Amino acid sequence: MQPGKSDKAIKEMRQIENVAKISIIAGEYDIVIRAQVKNLEELLDVTDKLQMIEGVNKTTTQIIEKEISLQ
Amino acid sequence: MIIRKKYLFYVLAITSSFIAAAVTGLDSYVGGRPAFINDPWAFAFSLFFVGAIITLCITLLLSVPIHGKSIGAKILDPSFKRIRMIKKPELSYHLIAGVMNAINTVGYCYVVSVVQDPAVILSFSQMVILYLLIMESITEKDVPTLVEVQSSVIVTFGAILASISLKGELATNPLIVVFLIINPTWAIFSIYQRKLKIMKIQNKPNDSINIRFWNVVFSCVFTALILFVFDSCTSGGHLIAGVTAVISLEYFLLLGATMGITFFAYVLYIRSLGMGKASVNNAIRASTIFFAIPFSILLWQLGFITEYSTDPVMLIIKVIGIILIVMGIISFALTVVKAYIFVTVKTGRPLRETMQKLWNIRGVTHVTITTGEYDFVVKVSTRTLMKGYERIIKKLDEIDEVKKYRWASVLKDWEKI
Repeated sequence: MQPGKSDKAIKEMRQIENVAKISIIAGEYDIVIRAQVKNLEELLDVTDKLQMIEGVNKTTTQIIEKEISLQ
Repeated sequence: MIIRKKYLFYVLAITSSFIAAAVTGLDSYVGGRPAFINDPWAFAFSLFFVGAIITLCITLLLSVPIHGKSIGAKILDPSFKRIRMIKKPELSYHLIAGVMNAINTVGYCYVVSVVQDPAVILSFSQMVILYLLIMESITEKDVPTLVEVQSSVIVTFGAILASISLKGELATNPLIVVFLIINPTWAIFSIYQRKLKIMKIQNKPNDSINIRFWNVVFSCVFTALILFVFDSCTSGGHLIAGVTAVISLEYFLLLGATMGITFFAYVLYIRSLGMGKASVNNAIRASTIFFAIPFSILLWQLGFITEYSTDPVMLIIKVIGIILIVMGIISFALTVVKAYIFVTVKTGRPLRETMQKLWNIRGVTHVTITTGEYDFVVKVSTRTLMKGYERIIKKLDEIDEVKKYRWASVLKDWEKI
């Protein structure tokens, strides 16, 4: 993220369809976004909209292949 | 809409508490009616019998689709689609939760018919948090920290003080029933409801509306069985008394109202159980005591509870009790550290085995195998960063397959509801 633009960017991210969770983190990355999509086309929509947000410098996508979860 | 997960959790738990307080007030009134005042067994059966009918009607109504989504999904639980049969993996959990709810309700009915003040009854039941902490440390991948133990003790002592009625009485028989029957069964019931909520049904999250519906059905069956055996052994007529009572329209409507409102309290409670630990959830639900106070005053105004004392000592004790409960709840809520760990593993090792090793680390709440820059994204939850190092990082270092990892603490998060 570009410094100083996080708050406004997060507000816009919260409006994106298929975004299930947003976490602000400390470390190499600034934000982790979890999206739930039916196909890669919808994933493209999400990443596309994210990259259009002012202040977003770079995105990296991890696709979940398998998950174990307590919730 | 995406809102802070923490807020959603609190909103659900507190709304559920408010409704629960209203229900306890109503239960006290119904439990004191002539048909039930000396027969808590019949009261419990009537509650579940009418409850099963009312819950079925509500669940069917919530299953009606509007613009492709059911009413239940829109207003109560987004995971709900329609009423459905239970699946095989759910059955054993439903059986245990059903038995526990049946026993719990008989005990509860006894207490409400003896102690009519809802604020007192609810204060007793807050002590369930201690049982939950112990059971969570046995059944889940977690051990209570000092903060959890401290908070639980504070909440418990607060509840004891708040449970002394303003007349200065501490009823002993109901207290024994609460400790030996109501609280342990409620603790086991909560754990199994949580297990059901976090279960995936056909790869989708389980919904709280069907969980509640089936729980009422099983509880009704088990209460009937327990009463049948009890009546056969003692030549009593509790089961028949329970059935006879609901034939009267007045009782049917009263029981229907209490079970209808309870349905919403439970659905919200089950949903919040899926989001946080059962013990923390119950700590938040301790706020029911506050909400119960206006209902106690209402019952007093209606002449149902005998007059309150205005002795300042009793009032101070009550206020101290309530303050302690609030302190306990706040210290619970403010002490969770969450983090993501991005893990890269060595090649030539089976990913599923590594996934299991990561999952076995205490404090890990999610493990996902991903494509992209990292092989795994692990989400962890711990009470303190020091514990995160001791329990998580040290264990991660011991896994031979792990090549490198990056820890990223969560500073704030939002979740879709």
